[in-house]
Amino acid sequence: MATERESETVHLNVEGCPDGKLQAIWGLGNQLFAFSGSTPNTRSKGRPAENRAASDICDVRWNTEMHTSITRKLVNETHNVFVMLQGQVASSTGSNLQSQMVMSSKQYRAILKACSMDLMHMAETCEDEGERESFEDQIQIFEMIQLIWGFCQILFIEVTPDGLLLNQLLDWIKWHFTDGKRLAVDILHDEIPAEHPAYWEAIFRLLLQGEVDSVRKLLSLNTSNQNEAFLSVDELLRKMPQWAHYHHALSAAEFDMKWRHWRDECQRRLEEGHYVAFPNLETLVMVLCGDENVFAEMKDMCGSWYHLLVSKMLYQNPTVRAPDLHHYAEACMEEFTLSGTRMGELDNILLAAIQFDIHQVIKDSSAFLSTGSWWFVSHFTDLLHHCGQLDTQNLAYGSNLREFLLLEYASSLMSHKSLWQVGIDYLDYCSVFGRTYITQFINHMSLDNEKKAHKLLHICEERNMQEEVQTICKVMGMKSLRRGKLGAALSWFLRSRDVTATSKLTERLIMEYSKTGQFEYTDILDNLGPAMFLSNRLTFLVKYREFHKLYESGETNKAASLLLSLLEARLAPRTFWITLFKDATPLLESKEVIFNSGQTYVLMHCLEELRHELDAKTDISQKLTDMEKDKLDLLQLCLTRNLSKAIKAEGTVKTS
Amino acid sequence: MFSASKTFPTAHEDLIHDVKYDFHGKRMASCSSDHSVKIWDCDEEDQWNCTAAWKAHSGSVWRVTWCHPEFGQVIATCSFDRTAAIWEELLGEQSREGKQSHWVRRTSLVDSRTSVTDVKFAPRHLGLLLATCSADCVVRIYEAHDVMNLSQWSLQHEIQCGLSCSCLAWNPSMFRFHLPMIAVGSDDPSSTAGGKVHIYEYSDANRKWRKVEIISMVTDSVHDLAFAPNFGKPYHTLAVASKDLSLFSIKPIGNLGKEPVSGGAISKFDMHRIAEFTEHDSKVWRVSWNVFGTVLCSSGDDGCVRLWKANYMGSWKCIEVMRGNGKKSEQQLEPKTTVVTASNNQNIRSPPPGIMNIKRNSGWPSFSTNADKGKLYY
Repeated sequence: MATERESETVHLNVEGCPDGKLQAIWGLGNQLFAFSGSTPNTRSKGRPAENRAASDICDVRWNTEMHTSITRKLVNETHNVFVMLQGQVASSTGSNLQSQMVMSSKQYRAILKACSMDLMHMAETCEDEGERESFEDQIQIFEMIQLIWGFCQILFIEVTPDGLLLNQLLDWIKWHFTDGKRLAVDILHDEIPAEHPAYWEAIFRLLLQGEVDSVRKLLSLNTSNQNEAFLSVDELLRKMPQWAHYHHALSAAEFDMKWRHWRDECQRRLEEGHYVAFPNLETLVMVLCGDENVFAEMKDMCGSWYHLLVSKMLYQNPTVRAPDLHHYAEACMEEFTLSGTRMGELDNILLAAIQFDIHQVIKDSSAFLSTGSWWFVSHFTDLLHHCGQLDTQNLAYGSNLREFLLLEYASSLMSHKSLWQVGIDYLDYCSVFGRTYITQFINHMSLDNEKKAHKLLHICEERNMQEEVQTICKVMGMKSLRRGKLGAALSWFLRSRDVTATSKLTERLIMEYSKTGQFEYTDILDNLGPAMFLSNRLTFLVKYREFHKLYESGETNKAASLLLSLLEARLAPRTFWITLFKDATPLLESKEVIFNSGQTYVLMHCLEELRHELDAKTDISQKLTDMEKDKLDLLQLCLTRNLSKAIKAEGTVKTS
Repeated sequence: MFSASKTFPTAHEDLIHDVKYDFHGKRMASCSSDHSVKIWDCDEEDQWNCTAAWKAHSGSVWRVTWCHPEFGQVIATCSFDRTAAIWEELLGEQSREGKQSHWVRRTSLVDSRTSVTDVKFAPRHLGLLLATCSADCVVRIYEAHDVMNLSQWSLQHEIQCGLSCSCLAWNPSMFRFHLPMIAVGSDDPSSTAGGKVHIYEYSDANRKWRKVEIISMVTDSVHDLAFAPNFGKPYHTLAVASKDLSLFSIKPIGNLGKEPVSGGAISKFDMHRIAEFTEHDSKVWRVSWNVFGTVLCSSGDDGCVRLWKANYMGSWKCIEVMRGNGKKSEQQLEPKTTVVTASNNQNIRSPPPGIMNIKRNSGWPSFSTNADKGKLYY
């Protein structure tokens, strides 16, 4: 088992008070505030002591590896693969799904590889020592992830029907151990290749990876290549049975037989002493024969136990099946531990994979490779989950392992200014906690501007999160209100369907009208539609505005009856009645009769009601000036005159 | 792994007692023994700027807390001067650029006869409620009747705790069958006074707060406590900072998820300690949860800040330790520790050497072509 990374003390540059203790408070995402704070012991002093330095606050962030420009690309591109894979899991089945799975796995690895290469480029061109070191750390982690992923893909994802996996393992080794190939290129470019000091090393390295053709090519460059021993080796190499060529035609057993024949031939020639004159050739043929001792000598050229394992299998047991691999792995590991190599976390993770202990692989990878981010374990576990390699039972926290890791990954993206959107897409695929996490996400997103608010609203509406929509609108409304943008505030409050806030705001608009006599935000008021019924106050305001429009366009009769109904329905705030009466005055004073007697009675009744309330010395009376009270008397006069006019007119009509 | 840290001076003239982020993590409030409160805003370049500072109380300001932004920009503070106060930011059109903002005191809550030790707004879905607790053993719940007018608060409930209160926490669960819940911690020094964490629940039927649980396992004085965000889990997680750091799981028994507690029945809980850590050696002063309730941060008398996280099996572990370079701790540090002291306040640190064991793994293939060339057997 891999030991978990022991936590290292991180030193913060917090200039503290002598009797303060470092304390910390969480912020959003991966952000902490550390400060030198008080303790009850220091509190009891109560008053400021002398000689206390000013305190600092330290803004600490971590796990921000995924926030750099390069890793951001990784996050965004793998996000696409992830979303596509989830779609395929939902729509396809069987072997079709399996091939999709393999493809997704390869895509993830390709993106990771590209990212790793970008990082290498950055590290090479980087001037700053510290920065380069952090790049190199990151590269190391990424390379390790690739190695583990490649291996696990062979074992768990791209499972061949016959259970043979040597070819894939060879490809894996070739991909990650390229020294042999590089050497070969150097040698081929040399003037006298056979005299190159690493000539034989290159041959052996390639041989250990099963690169037969390259080995033959190198051997043909030797000055004694026409010697019989060389020709014999060349023949053996040429005739070496390759499963890659046969696996369509032969069964594993048939292949095994063919291979044994070939090895017996190698054995025979070796024993007959064909190669005694050329010790290097002799070693080469011993490798072909799968000689235990010669592999022990070659282990340094393998560099790692898993390379040694694959090389050994190639020449000792090419039809090895995945479940048997671990029998051989331990011997290879021992080879290295005996010579003093310490087994690290990577070795343990690979060993656990060979032992088919997937949970251990994930556990160790989480502990060891997730210090920077949960990118690897979350995507990898998701794949394994869909491959059916994980038990789906719920863990104590309430859901399965896949969801646990996806939640971790998604929340690690939260504090970044653009990656949080990626996080939300991952949460969509977390069936148990996804939705509540999104809610929490949305609630904590800062609403810097309208654009961001609309983006968040869109996200909520897509997911039918009404409550969050209302909250966002309310917050935006409060924001606009504080900035004095009443129109914007009104439309936000309407959207949030917040009656109290809308009423309060409408009252402010009405007050403003009473002061200035000007309507503001007419475009909003004129286009409210049914939204105006959210609050009585708002209905009044809209209707009142309508009255003004009618009045301006000369439709005095309609205007008058609207005004009357506003008063009659008691929609207007009392304090505003005076204004309404004032508005009625020109209508009353006009030559034609606009208010008939019945309507005039209603107006008179309303006026009486207002007067009565004024006499009762309620709050309203304090809000009215004496001048306004005088106007009421004037109004009384107007009403009486209009009444007489109306009765006269009505009488005339009757008689005619 | 810590990738970046940035230090900025607060210019508080005395010890800082509390620092709080607002809901969105873009604003911060700090309060101090120098009677003042400061508001900090994070600008486009990720720099923190002080946009308001004022003398808020006539004594040390213990705690500061933010209200949900749907109620505006509002904070509450509590102080040694026996009051708690509500502050609202005024932002006219003229000061729109936000260089400086002006905060006005909306109200002073003067019911306590002793120092007010903690102040917390209720979770948003309960409305605009504020809880305070004080050394006179009382928890008070205030309510603003008109959310548009924060100058009127009425004292809705007074809970007599019988023990001097040091801290309180609202249960943030938004699950609709969970009744409003408050945990209160006491700093009463006598260990014979029984459990120091009391849990109260509000019963709609009786319109009363009732004590539903005493955590008898905690008998030492409690300095801080915090509920983890719940996310619809069937249990609540409460972190308690006392002599050591404890995590409690509080699971409502029986009717959870099926129906609300009926009538006057008192809810029953299944409570147990899920973790107990003594790493801070002596005392733990502070606990704080991250937004998702997955990582807990604790601060202790040993001058360290520790981060705790549960793996998928629910077992909690320390994942990170931080130490400051305050003058006092500097003397205690062994000489070998390297303290980063850059003079500029933007100070990006590379991870300390050896933070990853990978480097020590010699069985690992090398990746740099240049390095490999040097290793060949020429």
